[in-house]
Amino acid sequence: MNVLILLAIILFALMTWVGGMKGVRSFIALFINFLIVLMAVFVMNDPSGNPIIIALIACGFISAVSLFFINRVNNKTVLAFLATIVTMVILIFFIIILTEQSMIYGLGEEESGEITTFNVHIGLNFVQIATAVIIMSTIGAIVDTAISITSPMREIYEQNPDISRKNLFLAGIRIGRDILGTNTNTLFFAFFGGYMGLLIWFKDLDYTIGDIINAKVFNDELLTIFISGIGISIVIPASALMSAYYLKKKKKDIVLEDKK
Amino acid sequence: MFSEIQIGNPIFGVITLKAWLKNRTKTQVITVCLLLIGFIASMIFINNNYELYDRTIVQITDVQEINREDQVDTHGNEDEHVTQHIVGEIKNGSDKGKSTEFDNEYMQSLALDYELSAGDEIFLAQDGNAAGDIKRDKYFVFAAWIFLVILLAVGKSRGALSALSLLVNAVILSVALDIYIQHPSISLSLITLISIIIFTVLSLLMATGFNEKTYTAILTTLIATGVSLIIAYAALRFTGEQGLRYEEMAFLTRNPQTIFMAGLLIGSLGAVMDIAITLSASMFEMYEKNNHISIETLKKAGYEIGKDIMGTMTNILFFAYVSGSIPMLLIYFKNAAPFGFTVSMNLSLELARALVGGIGIVLTIPIAVYISIFFIRRKQAKL
Repeated sequence: MNVLILLAIILFALMTWVGGMKGVRSFIALFINFLIVLMAVFVMNDPSGNPIIIALIACGFISAVSLFFINRVNNKTVLAFLATIVTMVILIFFIIILTEQSMIYGLGEEESGEITTFNVHIGLNFVQIATAVIIMSTIGAIVDTAISITSPMREIYEQNPDISRKNLFLAGIRIGRDILGTNTNTLFFAFFGGYMGLLIWFKDLDYTIGDIINAKVFNDELLTIFISGIGISIVIPASALMSAYYLKKKKKDIVLEDKK
Repeated sequence: MFSEIQIGNPIFGVITLKAWLKNRTKTQVITVCLLLIGFIASMIFINNNYELYDRTIVQITDVQEINREDQVDTHGNEDEHVTQHIVGEIKNGSDKGKSTEFDNEYMQSLALDYELSAGDEIFLAQDGNAAGDIKRDKYFVFAAWIFLVILLAVGKSRGALSALSLLVNAVILSVALDIYIQHPSISLSLITLISIIIFTVLSLLMATGFNEKTYTAILTTLIATGVSLIIAYAALRFTGEQGLRYEEMAFLTRNPQTIFMAGLLIGSLGAVMDIAITLSASMFEMYEKNNHISIETLKKAGYEIGKDIMGTMTNILFFAYVSGSIPMLLIYFKNAAPFGFTVSMNLSLELARALVGGIGIVLTIPIAVYISIFFIRRKQAKL
């Protein structure tokens, strides 16, 4: 039996056991997200399309699936969705400039050895593809942070409806601080786990610090971690602000309606 | 610090910089000053560190495109072959200050080579006649600063701790790999296991300090990582690793299986720690708020929180792993490689990592709930 299928079955069984229906939905969402990534890759195959735009659209779908499919459509998921979009819009310019300037696009010399049989001059724009990859790598963490803030903020608001808008915002920021460290840690380990081979390669071939810090693959990885961290940091105030604004505004409307 | 002036403005009233400064404590002002000095100093350093490199660095002063021709490969992919004539100034070594000229050839898709423009700084190739690599250190340092400043602005002291913990973990990883390289007799699995224990203990202590919820989280992380290791190992053994394509694992100087297993464990560690600390922190908080809370309520609440984070956490790992394969997938597809072959060649290891990470995440939930309950029960018994 294929090991991936076995692992997927184990994951599905565990998710169902621990999470019940929500676990089943989480697993299906993961599967749908995989299909979205594959679809995005197919669309990027067309040289006339812009990979950055395709990645952004894919990210829209991915956040919609992660938020609305797992947690249903309600004001906390809608707020998280909007905060994700806002963060992406702010982040995208930074990503584009950084990829272009530091030239981390394309394949590194360490990677290019393995595909000698293939033609890599395929007429696609690898600068934009590199940007698209960074966008897609960060989206999971940004969506997770957004929902982790809007969801408890609504709880706090419902338990103390008289809380001022500023205090509600600050409560959101406090929750965010707890998540900030753990989520950057999650990404850090994920990337380093994935690139253990590269790190050992650097050490085996006696790369100097100067070689490593200028290497394309290394910069690609670390800039992705930094950008994800920046994205997580931006989405915290963004979702706290939007939740504070929306939840308090909703209350005013209700008061007005009561007066009428 | 910064979040409040920039983002707080439109809603909470205009705070002028002066008033903002007035509201700051001395430590905050000093921190901002130190950061600013550090930023400026390191940016000046990194933009003038040419002499530290042995390789010749050239700053490009003039670029002229001298040739551009279309190319079509056997699969009908159109690309353009461009030749640039480059004039640049040598920035280090014995020829410092001298001017140099060479031709730079690139394909418009830029999969392997670079399109150069005036102002770029590059390392000259060994033969001195082509661009070798790009000087990227300044962008690296710049991005690191932006990351640090935003982390501090939003997270304040917590942000500083997370940055510090990332740095400490990077150093531990580097030292662990050094030990591995220098002592081939010690197996990578053993080194990975010891590093995992150190990573877990240090990161969690730094995140939440010396207290019961931290100990719970440490214990949970270690047990969950152990159990997911056993599951992953058993699954790999049972299937004879069928479906895993190690041959496409990039950057290999050693046995791929061991490196893959080590990466598998380290890769999911961050996510497992995240879930462990989130669950133990919230369960202990519920206990603090109500010392006589029933075990049944605690258990149910723990599972509720776990269900909420399970889906999004597996997503984080999934995208972090799978997105990196997109360029390779495109190259395969464009070379008319069959779909199944392309996916199994490029995604099998990434998918295995994501799936094992997901298994670790889900397993952590019940383990964290039961260990928290064990400690809380002991505390309740003492009441």
